[in-house]
Amino acid sequence: MTMAAAAADMALVKPISKFAGATPRRMSLIYNDNNNNKSGSFSRRSSSSRSMIRMMSTSAPTSGSGAPPRQSKKASKQGIKETLLTPRFYTTDFDEMETLFNTEINKNLNQAEFEALLQEFKTDYNQTHFVRNKDFKEAADKMQGPLRQIFVEFLERSCTAEFSGFLLYKELGRRLKKTNPVVAEIFSLMSRDEARHAGFLNKGLSDFNLALDLGFLTKARKYTFFKPKFIFYATYLSEKIGYWRYITIYRHLKANPEYQCYPIFKYFENWCQDENRHGDFFSALMKAQPQFLNDWKAKLWARFFCLSVYVTMYLNDCQRTAFYEGIGLNTKEFDMHVIIETNRTTARIFPAVLDVENPEFKMRLDRMVEINQKLIAVGESEDISLVKNLKRIPLIAALASELLATYLMKPIESGSVDIAEFEPQLVY
Amino acid sequence: MPVSTALNLGYLVSSIANVPTHNGQKPLLLHGATSQSLPLLASPNHLLKLGHTKCSWRTTTPVRTAVAAVQSSDPSEKQESELKKYHFVVANAKFMLDEEEHFKELLFERLRLYGEREKEQDFWLVIEPKFLDKFAAITKRLKRPAVALVSTNGPWITFMKLRLDRVLQESYEADSLEEALASNPANIEFEKPDKWSAPYPKYEYGWWEPFLPPGSKPAKV
Repeated sequence: MTMAAAAADMALVKPISKFAGATPRRMSLIYNDNNNNKSGSFSRRSSSSRSMIRMMSTSAPTSGSGAPPRQSKKASKQGIKETLLTPRFYTTDFDEMETLFNTEINKNLNQAEFEALLQEFKTDYNQTHFVRNKDFKEAADKMQGPLRQIFVEFLERSCTAEFSGFLLYKELGRRLKKTNPVVAEIFSLMSRDEARHAGFLNKGLSDFNLALDLGFLTKARKYTFFKPKFIFYATYLSEKIGYWRYITIYRHLKANPEYQCYPIFKYFENWCQDENRHGDFFSALMKAQPQFLNDWKAKLWARFFCLSVYVTMYLNDCQRTAFYEGIGLNTKEFDMHVIIETNRTTARIFPAVLDVENPEFKMRLDRMVEINQKLIAVGESEDISLVKNLKRIPLIAALASELLATYLMKPIESGSVDIAEFEPQLVY
Repeated sequence: MPVSTALNLGYLVSSIANVPTHNGQKPLLLHGATSQSLPLLASPNHLLKLGHTKCSWRTTTPVRTAVAAVQSSDPSEKQESELKKYHFVVANAKFMLDEEEHFKELLFERLRLYGEREKEQDFWLVIEPKFLDKFAAITKRLKRPAVALVSTNGPWITFMKLRLDRVLQESYEADSLEEALASNPANIEFEKPDKWSAPYPKYEYGWWEPFLPPGSKPAKV
């Protein structure tokens, strides 16, 4: 899944660290000067039973790789720099989770739906799908200059996001085994999917002579704590938005094959079905806890999470617009499409969603992008810390104001037909 | 609330009857069960009459399944008919075939999987199915032409209901595939969408043809 979700404290938006040059991603990359240390060691497929995936990188850089070794080694010693928009690792109140899924306590659990999902996950549609070929390394070698750097960052962020999902699901699968074995097994199967995705992306990184030290990340990253309710909202959205991102890129590249600069995109069509199914599971989870869907508080939270996820993605992507342009997309149009479709999908379960097709919505997003760019510029300027912070204050205020105005826009009533109040008026 | 009562009752009865519902394998017990066995619980119309406004079509399935299992413990009933149970979700054609592009992806994915694992196809798309005549409560809420996704795999249809959401789910029995998938001719036409935000073209008209019942003529534009 691509975890574009921001934390609950969106009002404290901090400037995003500089994109070009020494970027936050560098800190967790291992860059190894060991020559000819190829293959074997990093070809392991990670299985869901492993809690850590260790990958080692390989030989010296090819010329013009755009990844100077000295810089990355230095950065990795500095530790992990995280911003509000960096892909997050999540943890939750596992005791509360157990209570929510206890069939004796909770009578709303629709076992038929969960068992249907279990069957779907057990089917393992992509069991034989993630197989690499020589095209990968060849394509990577051809990619030079700025595109190469942006690409590596895309792989790295995606890998981190997938791996984050792996960790959370694996833990939930473990913890819920006795309480609700069906749900626990589904979580474990989802962690199987995420491990596969993360592993595949990490192997992609190796084509660029880099790799994520996922074991290090597991131990060193800060974990954001979300109560179970928020895990459901946030993860549902990130899985569904992940589906739409991947399928849009896939279909766009199919229609415009001259931009297929790296073979991984060809895998997206099958890959994203996994994400979509994960989202379905969270949909069932939320239906099993109607208190998360049926009152005014639920509506406010639903809108809040939609807003966080959409804004985070938009700001992140606009910062990295060179990547999307590199594969032939108009970044803002791509993002708006993903947002519109994700919102339409989300309307099938959330009790309220944002009116994203209202022109005011995009207008405000674009203003937030501008403010964000100014914030970044302040961060990069030569001023002393105090001056920088003073300059940031009005910008942060402006950003918060745009966020609030967007949040307060009239929402769209929505929800699953199994629960929604408007169901009787529906014609199918 | 009648709906949750029905759900709880269904859950209770199915736990008593110990009907395994996972893996999509309906136990043999179900063959020979008819909807007349226990009119009180089996008829969807009865649930409507209970007076609630939210009709979750799902509720009929667990109740009927469980009841049938109890009923068919009588061995003489097992041999009698070759009735097979078919599950479906249905909505109007525009929704099923034109608007839900992820639906097309799921069907092709499943077809690919069946090919890889050499499994016989057990799911179809039926345009204007004849079996809808049995479901007045559905048809009065349905825009036409309608399209149903039909399968003998119950849990998978439950999953598709979860995924599609804005569909109605039910099941019926038939003793041959032809009877189960019989349909009336229909003219399917879709207008181009007035809003298209994607950087790619729409899936082509007629993508559903591989899923139509065997022997179907391709839909006319």
